[in-house]
Amino acid sequence: MTTEASLVGLVFLPLLAACLLWAVGQRAPWLRQGLVWLSLLAPLALLLAPTLALTTQPVVEVVLAGHAPPLGIGLRLDALSLLMLWLVAVVGAGAGAYASFVEPPGSDAGTRFWPPWLLLMTGLNALFLSADLFNLYVAIELVTLAAVALVAWSGKGAALRAAMRYLLLAMLASLAYLLAVALLYAEHGTLDLYLLARGVAAGSDTTRIALALLIVSLLLKAAIFPLHIWLPPAHARAPGAVSAVLSALVVKGGVYLVYRIWFWTLDGAQPALVANLLGALGACAIVYGSIAALLQSRLKPLVAYSTVAQLGYLMLVFPMTATVASGALAWKGVIYQLLSHGLAKAALFLAAASLLRGVGSDRLVDLAGASRRFPLSVFAVGLSGISLMGLPPSGGFLAKWLLLEAAWIQRGWVWMAVLLLGSLLASVYVFRALSAMMATPGDDAKAPVDAALPRPVPWQMDVAAVTLALLAVIAGFASAPIFELLNAAAPFPRVESATPISERALP
Amino acid sequence: MSLALDGLLAISLVVLALQVVTGASLFRSIVMFVVFGLVMALVWARLRAPNLALAEAAIGAGVSGALLMLGYRRLRAAGPEATRPGPRSSRLAAPLSLLVAGLVASLGWTALGLPEALGAAGAAVVAAMPSQAVANPVTAVLLVFRGYDTLLELAVLLVALAGARAVEGPAGPADLAIPTMTGLPIVGALLAALVPLSVLVAGYLLHAGGNAPGGAFQGGAVLAAAGVLLVLTGRLVPHPVPGPVERWGAVLGLLVFSALGLVMLARGQGMLSMPGAWSIYLVESAMLVSIATTLVLLLGAAPGLRRGPLP
Amino acid sequence: MSQAAIYVMAAAAVIGAGVYGLLVAGHLLRKLLAINLLGSGVFLLLVALAGRSGGAPDPVPQALVITGIVVAVSMTAFALALLDRLFRETGQARMDVADDDD
Repeated sequence: MTTEASLVGLVFLPLLAACLLWAVGQRAPWLRQGLVWLSLLAPLALLLAPTLALTTQPVVEVVLAGHAPPLGIGLRLDALSLLMLWLVAVVGAGAGAYASFVEPPGSDAGTRFWPPWLLLMTGLNALFLSADLFNLYVAIELVTLAAVALVAWSGKGAALRAAMRYLLLAMLASLAYLLAVALLYAEHGTLDLYLLARGVAAGSDTTRIALALLIVSLLLKAAIFPLHIWLPPAHARAPGAVSAVLSALVVKGGVYLVYRIWFWTLDGAQPALVANLLGALGACAIVYGSIAALLQSRLKPLVAYSTVAQLGYLMLVFPMTATVASGALAWKGVIYQLLSHGLAKAALFLAAASLLRGVGSDRLVDLAGASRRFPLSVFAVGLSGISLMGLPPSGGFLAKWLLLEAAWIQRGWVWMAVLLLGSLLASVYVFRALSAMMATPGDDAKAPVDAALPRPVPWQMDVAAVTLALLAVIAGFASAPIFELLNAAAPFPRVESATPISERALP
Repeated sequence: MSLALDGLLAISLVVLALQVVTGASLFRSIVMFVVFGLVMALVWARLRAPNLALAEAAIGAGVSGALLMLGYRRLRAAGPEATRPGPRSSRLAAPLSLLVAGLVASLGWTALGLPEALGAAGAAVVAAMPSQAVANPVTAVLLVFRGYDTLLELAVLLVALAGARAVEGPAGPADLAIPTMTGLPIVGALLAALVPLSVLVAGYLLHAGGNAPGGAFQGGAVLAAAGVLLVLTGRLVPHPVPGPVERWGAVLGLLVFSALGLVMLARGQGMLSMPGAWSIYLVESAMLVSIATTLVLLLGAAPGLRRGPLP
Repeated sequence: MSQAAIYVMAAAAVIGAGVYGLLVAGHLLRKLLAINLLGSGVFLLLVALAGRSGGAPDPVPQALVITGIVVAVSMTAFALALLDRLFRETGQARMDVADDDD
């Protein structure tokens, strides 16, 4: 299969599967099962050709409708996009497999669940392959609408309120984004991220303000402190598989776009003040999120606040680009954080959902004894905790180590302190969760309200969680090929090369 | 002097917007919003954007207004206290909104003074128009140059419908109370005139959209309006199970557009390229059906529709 | 004052009105109305700015705004479905976005 067909397939396969699922309605449950499984597994196969292609060229571009930008729009793949697409494919497959046991595609509920899920996957793939600001807007809206619908799935009042809050804030962010697009188009006449970069250097203050507005709107979508308030209720009240995808993929879309704009569109013109501000917001996110996670008495909100904290690490790359060496290290560090947090957090949400299903409650006090009754789920929690805390050899460890190294080179003592504090706080809340699960149920444990509980959890659901968590842990070993890939199209030159960033030709 | 007309329209827009946000009752705000949409359509016409004027009138004012009004009706039916007025007092609101308006105004004013961009997308489109199969540049942008955007937009419409089904829950949506006087002969006469006319206008907008202002979206909205009339007068009743028209109609646009695009990819001519005017009309027709079906299902808040009993 | 300037100022005022409506509204339907107003204001700004030089009308912003209108309608329709279910489940159609829920 050619690379072009594979990339097209990544967007169109889930889209057409969603359409067929909708059109078939309640009939042909076997067809529905088959379509869903195909959509979950095919992306893993479709990504092979593009991965191979990127070993020989830094960028793959697919021209759509025979017209290249600025006249038309196209699909654009580079190393960063490829890694994000892999994350979508792997987490999508794992969480999707989990969800297909909770809401089987052949069931009545499945006819309502799977079209939004598949459209969410479509939107995510379209987002990571897009290089046009307005195309990104439509992809973001697709992702948002699907995500909100899935958050509200349980139909309970709290979930509906969380979904509505998410929707309103997301709509506000989208309009701020469009306002920025209006200003940028007025000045530059193009919406292509890379063509805009050429104009930004010579651009006026209007351009800079528009880009700042764009970044702020994306920070809201990425739930970066202090614009994070919608995330904990939404992620805590969504069904397990949906929370996994939200924390691992949807918010990462916002961060990915901030990176694109900062490192590619603003190439060479990044204001240091804003860089430090973004870093400061990240530091606040790490501290606030971790402490809030510590104070939670239920598992899912704990995991949701942990997401707020871990997203803060992703902001630390901005102030660490003072020197080329530290910049290259910090860049690799945050990419690794993107990937390993995605895997670990997805695993954690899936395991938490299993425990909730089995125990009937996700209050930490009620989880006592879970380690004996649901060993696989607790094992998954432990494994993801390893990555979240940053213990070797996990991907999380590598990410935090690289960031520490970058801070050291730059003599950024504050950032180093924040990184170490973050890891410490993460260990505290992970251990809090684990010790609650390993405690023996005492006399003050609540009796199960439902005689049918504890329900056994199907092993397939646990396998999904454990697999994702294992991937997060062994990600530390797979760093060499990933860094090789990143070096080819990173916004930082290799440490050996002497060309400063601003004089590099755009890939 | 034409600028006086522009000034008048601009002032109307602002006054209407303020009426919407400070309206005493929710119903009044919705009505003001519809009027705002219609004035907006006039503004688009003044800005030499006739396609946009049609779209705003049909979708922005018409469909949005109908959606909000029907949503309002459903809430009232669920409980009269649902639509009780009562703004939150917020001392931050007025200064913050003035600040935002001022910032946007100053940004806009600065942007007005900027020179025209070189190599702009717009100029490139205009230059490429003579070689296109259609003469309407907006249709060319929507279907050819930025067809991928349009395709994703159809996906957004679908996810709104699929999402609405997902959040309604297994019990389905609440029933929409049909007014009781729909058996009057005047209603029948009105429908007999309006519905075929709407179909005709929708078809015209679709056909004309190639070379004159119009297009699938505008036509789809007009067709949807006819559908909503039928639902409101009880000629089409909600049904919990969608029939084949509802199921396939909603995805027809996406399926046809994608299938054509994939065929072109397989033939080596590039994904989503349009080989001729026939392909544009084919895709637009499919889009018309999808847009109309999706909008009617969203407006009627029903998974499916059946012919109602004769009055 | 050119035509574009008049509409740019009007757009700014409409955006301000939308922000005001969003902050002041307690009822979710009013919030939706305010958001739709905000959207209209941003669209007006986009097209008015793009046409500031008075030459041939630029078809790209017009196409973008048509897409934007359809996306806005989709959002509104979905938000209304969500609002309807929210009211049926909780009896509440008002929301304070800044509040932290239980």
